[in-house]
Amino acid sequence: MFALPEKESRAPSTCPGPASTQDLDSNCGDGLERECSRKPDQKLPELYGVGDPTAGFSSNSSHLSSRGGIIKWFWDSAEAGYRTYHMDEYDEDKNPSGIINLGTSENKLCFDLLSKRLSQSDMLRVEPALLQYPDWRGHLFLREEVARFLSFYCKSPAPLQAENVVVLNGCASVFSALATVLCEVGEAFLIPAPYYGAITQHVCLYGNVRLVSVYLDSEVTGPDTRPFQLTVEKLEMALQGANSQGIKVKGLILINPQNPLGDIYSPAELQNFLEFAKRHELHVMVDEVYMLSVFEESVGYRSVLSLERLPDPQRTHVMWATSKDFGMSGLRFGTLYTENRDVATAVASLCRYHGLSGLVQHQMAQLLRDRDWINQVYLPENHARLKAAHTYVAGELRALGIPFLSRGAGFFIWADLRKYLPEGSFEEERRLWRRFLDHKVLVSFGKAFECKEPGWFRLVFSDKAHRLCLGMQRVRQVLEGKSQVAEDPPACQTQEPRDRHREPRRWSINNK
Amino acid sequence: MAGYKGPGLRREAHLCCDPTHPSLSSSQPVEAKTKAQGMSHQSDVLPCDQLRDQVIGNQSSHTQLMETLLHLRQTVDDCITQLTTRPPQLDLPLEEQRHNQATGEQEAFLRRVVNLLQSGAMWGLGLQAPRPTLGPRDDAGGGQQAQLSRQLDQLVHQLSHLEVAFVSHDLSNRGIDISAFERSKFQDFKTYQGDKYHEDKNTMGFINLGVSENKLCTDLMTERLSRSDMNHLEDALLQYSDQRGQPFLREEVARFLTYYCKSPARLDPENVVVLSGCCSVFSALATVLCDPGEALLTPTPFFGGLVMGSYLYSKVELMPVHLDSEITDGSARPFQLTVDKLEQALLEATLKGKKVRGLLLINPQNPLGDVYSRDSLEEYLEFAKRYNLHVIIDELYMLSVFDDSVTFRSVLSMESLPDPNRTHMIWGTSKDFGISGFRFGALYTHNKEVASAVSSFGFLNGISGITQYKLCRLLQDREWIDKVYLPTNHSRLKAAHRYITNKLKALKIPFLNRGSGLYVWMNLKEYLQPCTFEEELLLHHRFLGNKLILSPGKTYMCKEPGWFRLIFSDKPLPLKLAMHRFYEVLAEQKRDLRVKQLEDPQKE
Repeated sequence: MFALPEKESRAPSTCPGPASTQDLDSNCGDGLERECSRKPDQKLPELYGVGDPTAGFSSNSSHLSSRGGIIKWFWDSAEAGYRTYHMDEYDEDKNPSGIINLGTSENKLCFDLLSKRLSQSDMLRVEPALLQYPDWRGHLFLREEVARFLSFYCKSPAPLQAENVVVLNGCASVFSALATVLCEVGEAFLIPAPYYGAITQHVCLYGNVRLVSVYLDSEVTGPDTRPFQLTVEKLEMALQGANSQGIKVKGLILINPQNPLGDIYSPAELQNFLEFAKRHELHVMVDEVYMLSVFEESVGYRSVLSLERLPDPQRTHVMWATSKDFGMSGLRFGTLYTENRDVATAVASLCRYHGLSGLVQHQMAQLLRDRDWINQVYLPENHARLKAAHTYVAGELRALGIPFLSRGAGFFIWADLRKYLPEGSFEEERRLWRRFLDHKVLVSFGKAFECKEPGWFRLVFSDKAHRLCLGMQRVRQVLEGKSQVAEDPPACQTQEPRDRHREPRRWSINNK
Repeated sequence: MAGYKGPGLRREAHLCCDPTHPSLSSSQPVEAKTKAQGMSHQSDVLPCDQLRDQVIGNQSSHTQLMETLLHLRQTVDDCITQLTTRPPQLDLPLEEQRHNQATGEQEAFLRRVVNLLQSGAMWGLGLQAPRPTLGPRDDAGGGQQAQLSRQLDQLVHQLSHLEVAFVSHDLSNRGIDISAFERSKFQDFKTYQGDKYHEDKNTMGFINLGVSENKLCTDLMTERLSRSDMNHLEDALLQYSDQRGQPFLREEVARFLTYYCKSPARLDPENVVVLSGCCSVFSALATVLCDPGEALLTPTPFFGGLVMGSYLYSKVELMPVHLDSEITDGSARPFQLTVDKLEQALLEATLKGKKVRGLLLINPQNPLGDVYSRDSLEEYLEFAKRYNLHVIIDELYMLSVFDDSVTFRSVLSMESLPDPNRTHMIWGTSKDFGISGFRFGALYTHNKEVASAVSSFGFLNGISGITQYKLCRLLQDREWIDKVYLPTNHSRLKAAHRYITNKLKALKIPFLNRGSGLYVWMNLKEYLQPCTFEEELLLHHRFLGNKLILSPGKTYMCKEPGWFRLIFSDKPLPLKLAMHRFYEVLAEQKRDLRVKQLEDPQKE
């Protein structure tokens, strides 16, 4: 079908450049609240971009291999913000002028609930079988529990099978293993951009697989559309474009709920994307790592596993983890669900590199089994806290006149700070990010998500009230051009719980 | 210890790069490279051998040879000029870059050929007379030489052939390799998982003396891990941590290694990276030190699982340094690693166009149980330094030296490392603490670049914060380790080892009697007729048929058929039953051999 001869020499247009900023006219859809508008740009919009994580990199290490040099470069560049953050982490008592992290997508709202649950006696079992080599796919007891859990929460029409489950140490590993077993070196996956940028590294480190960005526009193009909407048309264009450059595309990555947009695909959209993939014999990897973090009841989230009939079940692979939905990214538990036995087996044989301690596997099985606690204690409380935090940050942004996507899922808000970039360049975007960091608040800039329009930022709101308020205060100071930092008490009208072990209070903020 | 019957030099070898045909110099190496990539099983031959022969045969050919070499160099240089007229371009598509890279590799290869031809010639010309025993010998049926080259690939492919041709439309080629590997190699393990021996519930089940696990101290371990200090929880443990591992764990690992490796100076936590198991550490290291297709030298027999997988994930190859069971003049004990052997293997690899980036050592060795003396270790490190090779030292069994008379010396105990920036040590708790299910491995390296690059894998090969905490508590408890765990563990290992070795002695089975590790390396050659790898595999299946899992030597890339590794670190009851099954299989095998012997002459 797409047996295009691999071309050797045609150069891909890799650099996103400052080319395309679209005008957002007055029709802003429900999500994007806009205040500023820009001059229309004459240039044609870019539809896709072939990622080359190594572009512009040259190694000069005498000790590392050339890919080792690139891998180290990944580490160095990823570290830039984090090193600064880790060296000066905010602590209420010890380092109140330290950096507040609104950049890492972690849910820090429910540690009290989790630590209580994880400390119950059923969690603490130690037995010899847990200390020895497990089945590489994961202990059977855990895979069975995962299958039951996903059947229930994904509302699958038929019970899911433990045989189709592979357990790994986090979704990063699932990406890495899938990339390796599905693609040859240099082949690619399509991914709608902006997307969670770390995936670039996950598929590249071992797999040497590339990502082809399907660029989405903030501009709203029709009455029933929304900003950054993914369409089959865009997928087709990107696929064609990549093919015409001789790049073999093997699959499509969908993140649902989307990170950083917070978007949720409707069943009809999902079906369309899956049909598109089937037409082109593409694998679809659906990352549903935020599926239980849909905190707005009105949002009807549908897992891909809930579809009555998958267009191409052998090429549909679903991943989920406890990192986000159970606020334990440090636990390193992720899972792959695929009906394709070959893929499951191949991924499982890479599990010797991506294994999880037997004791933790036991704990995860106990956690996922406890439906009562999840349904009656954890999820309602978690959603309420997420909602309150979201409401607070959304209110702050409104007060600043900053347009943003207001969705009811995920831990983050995708905010449009383009009005603060006079030239609308990525350099300015980076400078603004740096200014935030200098003012002791870490956020993420759009370029890190391969967003093609400079000026978008992701703010993570799933943090405790005192840190969040202080963080937002610093954000406001930067944007309002006030340079004095930090020492003043938070200006928000909440009383901070001084005792950190107490449940955090809800925000009682009047959104102006 | 029975040796080989016919030590002799390979002389049927044809020249790979014939110096008398300069025209070949430009095309031949390129072809050699293609061959390597196309998994040719043809015998690659060592031009150096041939050169040496010529030299020995006719010393007067010296001048002639040097002329030829100069001519060859000229041709090669021309070829290089030709190849390098294309400037490297960074913005080219990947295929193009790869092409350029390949060209660069060819160029490097050509240079190396020339240099080696020269050095090889010099070597032959009187610096040192080649000893006949140095040449690889052809004993186990023709295939040996070929196996030298792409042994890893071959093994994978042989294994995959065990299955009915496995085709998948969904997997990439490497995915198919990985899957085939899983299907064949771990078929045994899967069967075992489904029908495990259990003292009460399944006495007829498989006893696994194939997987290297220490099951002797699960009582101590379970008790220690159940204490309340293990169950501490704090928010940092549930959140993303430093990718290199939680600082508290890295600090503890540094302290632990300083103490147990007897390091002259305190080790630095900044040099520690922790990942999910030693396989992960090795794989990450191999990836950042070697590009795809590059190689590490490895004395064989050696534990294959580690690297086999890395080959699948990161396409780093292994060049075996084959050791002999026979004691030769250069060695004092069977399977002894010498610098001569390393030199030779490096030369062979280089002549095959393999870029060797490092040397992998396992100490205490698996499956031999050997412990390197301080002097040998130093020699190996000096050798590596001479050739700018990295040394990866896997000291996974360092605390499983149960014989008091054996002195283990960690590489970290050396006063000064010959090349600290290229010396990387791996340790984990899987073997020494019998908790392979914990998935913990640590890297110690002075090289900051390497540490950083390996840290990039912290996401893909990370350890749960909860597990990191437990490990930290465990390693911290020096009192328990020194007074309770290690003494008990060593005395139990010793008892189990004594039990097994007595059985083997009674059966007159030769084995290596070492005081470390969890295994015995034994020679069942007597039970193979003919002594081939096919027969070895058949015997292995016979053990399996009797619900006993052992590991055949082929798995360890041992070049002599007939060797098996037996894990003795199991509880007395299963161990006894296992030896009973072992005995039965061998008795059966012996009967069959006798019948075969009687029948054979009749056939003729």
